Amino acid sequence: MRNRCWKTFCLTFAALACFAAYGDASEPIKIGVVTPLTGTYTGIGQQVKWGLELAAKEINASGGIIGRKVDLLYEDEEANPLVATQKAEKLFQVSKVDFLTGTVNSASTLAVGQLAERNNKLIATTVSFSDAITGEKCSPNVFRVNAKAGMQSAALAEWLAKEKPGAHVFYLGPDYEMGRSTVAAFKSAAEKKGAKSTGEVFAPLGNKDYSPFFGQIRAAHASVLYTSVAGNDTVRLFTQMAEYGIRQHLTVVGASGTVTSQNIGAIGKVADGYVTGVGYSPEIDTSENRKFVAAFRGMHKADPDLYGADSYGLLYFYKAAVEKAKSTDTEKVRTAMRGIKWSTPQGMKEMRAGDHQAIQDMYAVKVVDGKFKIIGKVRGNTAIGPDTCQRF
Amino acid sequence: MGGAVDYIQFVFMPQVFNGLTIGVAVILMALGLTIIFGLLDVINMAHGEFYALGAYLGITLASHGVGFWLLLIAVPLVLLPLGYGSDRLLIQRVFHQKDRHMLTLLLTFGLAIIMEDMFKLAYGPNTIRPETPISGGTELFGNFFPSYRLFLMVFGTVTIAAVWLVVHRTRYGSMVRAAAFDKHMASSLGVPVGKVYSATFAFGVALAGLSGVLLAPIYSVFPTMGKDFILMAFAVVIVGGLGNIKGVVFAGLLLTQVQAISSLYISPVWADPLVFAIMVLVLMVRPQGILGGKLGHA
Repeated sequence: MRNRCWKTFCLTFAALACFAAYGDASEPIKIGVVTPLTGTYTGIGQQVKWGLELAAKEINASGGIIGRKVDLLYEDEEANPLVATQKAEKLFQVSKVDFLTGTVNSASTLAVGQLAERNNKLIATTVSFSDAITGEKCSPNVFRVNAKAGMQSAALAEWLAKEKPGAHVFYLGPDYEMGRSTVAAFKSAAEKKGAKSTGEVFAPLGNKDYSPFFGQIRAAHASVLYTSVAGNDTVRLFTQMAEYGIRQHLTVVGASGTVTSQNIGAIGKVADGYVTGVGYSPEIDTSENRKFVAAFRGMHKADPDLYGADSYGLLYFYKAAVEKAKSTDTEKVRTAMRGIKWSTPQGMKEMRAGDHQAIQDMYAVKVVDGKFKIIGKVRGNTAIGPDTCQRF
Repeated sequence: MGGAVDYIQFVFMPQVFNGLTIGVAVILMALGLTIIFGLLDVINMAHGEFYALGAYLGITLASHGVGFWLLLIAVPLVLLPLGYGSDRLLIQRVFHQKDRHMLTLLLTFGLAIIMEDMFKLAYGPNTIRPETPISGGTELFGNFFPSYRLFLMVFGTVTIAAVWLVVHRTRYGSMVRAAAFDKHMASSLGVPVGKVYSATFAFGVALAGLSGVLLAPIYSVFPTMGKDFILMAFAVVIVGGLGNIKGVVFAGLLLTQVQAISSLYISPVWADPLVFAIMVLVLMVRPQGILGGKLGHA
């Protein structure tokens, strides 16, 4: 009985979906958003949602995309690749979305990318850092509008080479995929710029006490510490470094996810002086960005971070491509997206045709009195590095 | 040669010292656990959450102007009635049933989940960090030892000694040991066994809360902090022998030194499996623990 109900339901739905697919031009364009609304990455998912909502509101108010309104359909990814693929499948098959975005966890983006290939749909990530997404595991159906890990490292290494030429660097990362890949990426970028590596250690995720590693850092006579720990781990690392007074002799630099708006309050004063490379800061002094920050604050009563800004920029990327293609057809939109230039709060971005990685200017930012200040800038073409995508 | 001296002075020695401070922290956590385990035969899965509760209470009281030194007394005092009540209202309900091991395990596990969520609701998911009450440090043999860690070692040692004295040298302690040895005999000789049970649970919980206040400035405070030390504390309790205070001290120092020193030579990620391998070995070869002897039997 249940089975028959289900079949009837599916058939009805399929019929409705057929009508929807051949609906007239005033049908809204449906964009699926699979993003973490609960769990560890809630804060990131929140920014993704806020950025998209602001862009959708603006686009709809000015007539939509090729005369059609934009409709955002949310699903909770829970930062879990398995959940992400189930929810994405549902959005592709049942809701018949035209385009999909929102994945945060790099593994989710890769998994949903494969799903998109099977469904012949396009997706874009606005958050995932892993270089593989537009590198060795690139996909003709996946685009990335945010900066990848390698670009962040490039901006930071550039700053380091200028400020502390030939610095002795020690690396401390959390022992899992993200930690190992961020350390490897920064190490190669810094060494190319003349820095000397003096040692590295990988602590377990959720490590309690970092003081056992301070002796190694000291014995290595390092002047710079690069770290990619995140969340609570950062709070402990910085607290314990202050406790042992080793901050005085060390310049601490790191990944963009190490010190964030979520943990900077708890870290407090000892975060001052920390330097990282990012693709966005609310401090960027251009008229586009000032307008964006003001609108964002007005709508959400909070500052945008890189995730909010890149998610906002994504809808304009899609709009530009669909308007160029004059269609939402996958094949036509993909062709239009390749090499397209579009305007974002960070300035003009360009989608590199060869690997679907956006080219954008990168910034080195430093924590001063609990706020990030821009202290350096690297041109997009220098930061992005060679195209290593072999699949298309 | 200079390299070797450098290594011993700047890497090896601080490692032993850091291992010691972590050891004291773990022993403080394991003490309450072992007393509750040794006497009540209850595995308190919520012990870590009582540790977190101590830290959060400390933050709330501190925001109302209570100084750090007063917290070291105030927080355990607040936790005593809470622990007493938890035992009376929850654990004693299922304690006398046949499958009490399973029931108390599930009950305290459920309590742990509820408490963790309550911390999230009351204080939010983000980390809070109290300021270190004593800053600065001492330079010894060219190494820097933070004053607060030195204080932690001294205070922890005094606390451990005090707990030993209470259990082995006071009237309450002899009642505890008598009840642990044979609750029916103790009861027939006039020991109020039910009250002794609840008081002991309260005592263990207060110790966890005290650890929470003491360790918060170093390890910071967040909803899931209860899970931090609990596995290590369980390992210490098992290796040291259930309910054995000397055993806890011995095993606590041994395991944290193994962890600290091994992480110099193998990936720190493998230091934990090494510690648990020792625990498994002890369970296989000497299940009563290295120093053996249950509470009240020694």
